[in-house]
This record gives sequence, structure tokens and C-alpha cells, in this order.
Amino acid sequence: MEDKRLPSDQLVTTLQWVWVAGFIFLVLGIISWFIHLMRNALSLRDVPSAAIGIPLVAIPIFLTLASVVFYVFWGLAVRGRRQ
Amino acid sequence: MADQAVADQKDVHEDILLAPIAQTGPGFYWAVAALSVFILWGAIAYAFQFSEGLGVTGLQQPVSWGFYVTNFVFFIGISHAGTLISAILRLSRAEWRRPITRMAEVITAMVLFIGAGQILVDLGRPDRVLNVILHGRYQSPLLWDATSISAYLSASLTYLYLPMIPDIAILRDRLGKWKLFYSVLALGWTGTEQQQKVLNRAIAIMAVLVIPVAVSVHSVVSFVFSMTLQPMWHSTIFGPYFVVGAIFSGIAALIVAMIVFRKAYGLEHYLKPIHFRYLGQLLLIMSLLWFYFTFAEYLTGYYGAEPEEMKVFWAKFSGPFWPFFWGMVFCNLFVPLVCLVRLGHHTIGKVLAASLSIIVGMWLERFIIVIPSLSNPRLPFPLTPYHPTWVELGEFAGSLALFALFYLLFTKVFPIISIWEIREGREEGLKEVEERVKSYLPDEVEGAT
Repeated sequence: MEDKRLPSDQLVTTLQWVWVAGFIFLVLGIISWFIHLMRNALSLRDVPSAAIGIPLVAIPIFLTLASVVFYVFWGLAVRGRRQ
Repeated sequence: MADQAVADQKDVHEDILLAPIAQTGPGFYWAVAALSVFILWGAIAYAFQFSEGLGVTGLQQPVSWGFYVTNFVFFIGISHAGTLISAILRLSRAEWRRPITRMAEVITAMVLFIGAGQILVDLGRPDRVLNVILHGRYQSPLLWDATSISAYLSASLTYLYLPMIPDIAILRDRLGKWKLFYSVLALGWTGTEQQQKVLNRAIAIMAVLVIPVAVSVHSVVSFVFSMTLQPMWHSTIFGPYFVVGAIFSGIAALIVAMIVFRKAYGLEHYLKPIHFRYLGQLLLIMSLLWFYFTFAEYLTGYYGAEPEEMKVFWAKFSGPFWPFFWGMVFCNLFVPLVCLVRLGHHTIGKVLAASLSIIVGMWLERFIIVIPSLSNPRLPFPLTPYHPTWVELGEFAGSLALFALFYLLFTKVFPIISIWEIREGREEGLKEVEERVKSYLPDEVEGAT
């Protein structure tokens, strides 16, 4: 007999996707912000060197973070479940 | 028989480390009540400031940065405790790290929120933060700060979360409450070899990534000062000086947290005197390093003898700020030297005394950097001494209490000591260390007598 207190597998899977998607959206939001500031600086000719240089360092960090989280999610939750 | 003994040990350790989550004693409620009083004071102070404006604080021209920016630099500094120390210990495979890393990582994640919050409070009009998002200019080091702190916060939260996954799975399987919450966060962890490989790889990547990010954050915090032409701020060594100070105060905060939770949750078997001795030695080294940077910073200013710089210099040495300056030296150098040079007896008491002293000293250091330079600007402003009001004091007390409350609540939801890392240390650590030590030593030479 199924234990009623245990959450359903489908609900857990859905929430895990929501959880990882939320993180990816957060990272994409921050990257979009950098790009917005960069475009502003370029259109106004307002210190474009800094406006390009700083996001060029920051964006790969955020992309790495998103990749690591997604890698863990895929390796544990998706591949792990299949196995 | 031996397998049974190992399994029993495993259960005992899990029971001890899960006890704070499974049971809640009256001490927890008393602590929450006490912290809530300070948080309420902070909330009332903020509500008053929000309705009346920044005029209710001691801030005025030319001292437009006071307690709030001091606290911002202080809290961001404390955040270096965690991630940086944990990452360095992990990468260097220091076995004594196992009961410490989680505590350190939690400090970082919690205190970063509090540090970033100080800027919102300092804005007076928090809605103005939208201007930074919509019209921010990378010409301003303040925006560099926003960028680096958002990177550090994201990296720290990830670095805190990943090593918690196996422990969350234990909570999911063993605890009778919050099954859905733990099941989602555990990401289906069952401890297979493939899952272990994925997680170890991800933790290793994060440990490498987080170190330069952490160093860059406090360098950028220092740029907020050193990119200006204010006397005694325009310094090339401010970056490393701030980073050293941050690690220094971070280790002190970590030690205090370790001692408090060791006592509160009965973790004496995990946080042993040897851990405090090692951290105490690290603290002593950081104290000397901090003194070296302070000495270099003030000596170059004194030798240059630029009139505007000297005004600030003497204001700190023998002027109105002397109690803060010499208090800082006393707390950051003399007390640690007295307490930490010989750690043979009463290790924990001595390390605690030094850590508390350093926390106070490092706050004074941040204060002594921010206020005297603004009080003695290059432009001919009338002398207006800065006195914080009850609003700023309330914000400070509330922020400290909020940090403590966040930390306390974390310990009621997740184990404060990594269960799986302790288990791994017991099961594999000894063998691994033996093999590693053998690999360091010269190979045996055949035919040697």
C-alpha cells in the first residue's frame, strides 16, 4: 500500500524542473541586465570600454554557474532517475 | 560484525547531527525572542527613516557615508569566511575541514544578504535602486560592486547547496517532516557511484571558481574608496588590504559561530580543540598580515606628507578619532598576539577571546577608513563631526540580529555539519591520507642499507 505521506514522484520531478528553471532564469535575467547596461553605454558613448570589459568577465561566471547547476540537475535528477 | 559496528556508528552520527532539526528546545525560542527584539528595533528605525528621510541619521555633508557604508564593508568582509576558507581547505584536501565547511559556507550566504541590504538602507529611497538597474553606468565603481556581489552571492549559494545534496537526501529519508521540500532539493540523490562522480566534479569546479570571485568582490569593494581622490583613500594597496582584512574578520566570525553552535547543539565530538588550534594559528598569521598592510598603508601616507592626507592621518593618530584607531590596533594586533601565540591550554577560550576582539577591531577598521577621510575633505567644508543616531545604531543591531536569526533558522532546517563528509572522512579519509602521505615521500631506493 502506498504511503500517503510521501509526495508523488511526478510532483517532485515537476518542482525540481521549476527549481532549476528558476535558477537558470535568474542567471539569464542578470546577463540580460549586463547586456542592457552595455547597450546603453555604447549608444550614449559613455565609457564603453568599462561597459564591455566588466560584463565580459562577469557573464562567463554566470554562464559557468548555470552550467554547473544544470549539469548537477541532469546528472542526479534526470540520469540518476533513469538508472 | 565489523559491518554492524560501522552501521551503528553511522546511525549515531546521523542522530547527533540531525537532532537540532528533529527536536526544538526552549533555548531556540528564547534565542529567537531575544533576536526579534533587536530586529524590531531595526525595523522601527528603518520605518522612521523611511518616513522622515535620511535627515534622522547623523549623515550630512561632507560625511555622507557613515554607519551604513561601514557596516556594508564589514558584512561583506565577514562573508569571506565561508566560501573562501571552505574552498581553499577543500582544494588543499585538508582533512580537518570536514566539520567546518558547512558552517563557513552558511556565513557567506547569509551575511551577503545583510551586507547588500545596507546599501538599500543607505539609499534612503529604496525605490531608487531601480535607477541602478535601468540606467546604471559602469563608470561608477558602485556598479562594479553590484556586479561582483551578485556574482559572489550566486556562486556562494550554489557552493553552499551542492555539498548539501547528500545530506538533504538523508533528511528526506529519515525525517518525518517537510518530505516534499527535501525531496525536491535532494534531486533524487541515492548515492550511486555515478551521482557521486557528478557531484564531486561540480563541487571541485565551484571550489575553483569561487576563490577568484571572492577575492574580486572585496577588491571591488575597496575600489569604491580607492577610485576617488579623497585623502587616504586613493591607495593602490587598498584591494589586497581589504581582502586580507576580510579573510581576517571572516575567520574570526567563523570561530565564534563554531563555538556557539558547539555549545548549543553539543557538537564537542565534531568541533575539537584541534580545529580551533588550526584556525587560531591561521588567525594569528592573518593578524600579522593585517598589521603589515596597515603599517605599509600608513607609512607611505606619512612619508608622502601631502597636507590633506596628513590632516586625516593625525585625525586618526591623535585627533578626534584616536580612540577608534588605537582601539583597532589593540583589538586586531595586541589581543590576538597575547591570546594566540601560545595555544597549549584553554585553546577554545583563547581563540574565542581573540575572535571577538578581531570582530570588534575589524568593524573599527572599516569605521576608521570611512569616516575620517570624509570628515576632512579636500574642499573647504565647515567642520561637522559625525555622530550616529539611534536610527543607525538600531539598523546595525537589527542587521546583526537578523544575520544571527537567519543562521539559527538554517540550523533548524539543514544539518550545520556535513553528515556525508564526516562519514566519508571516517570511511575513506584515513586510507586516502595514508596513500597521499606515501606519495609525498621519496620512493624507497633498492639496495639501500
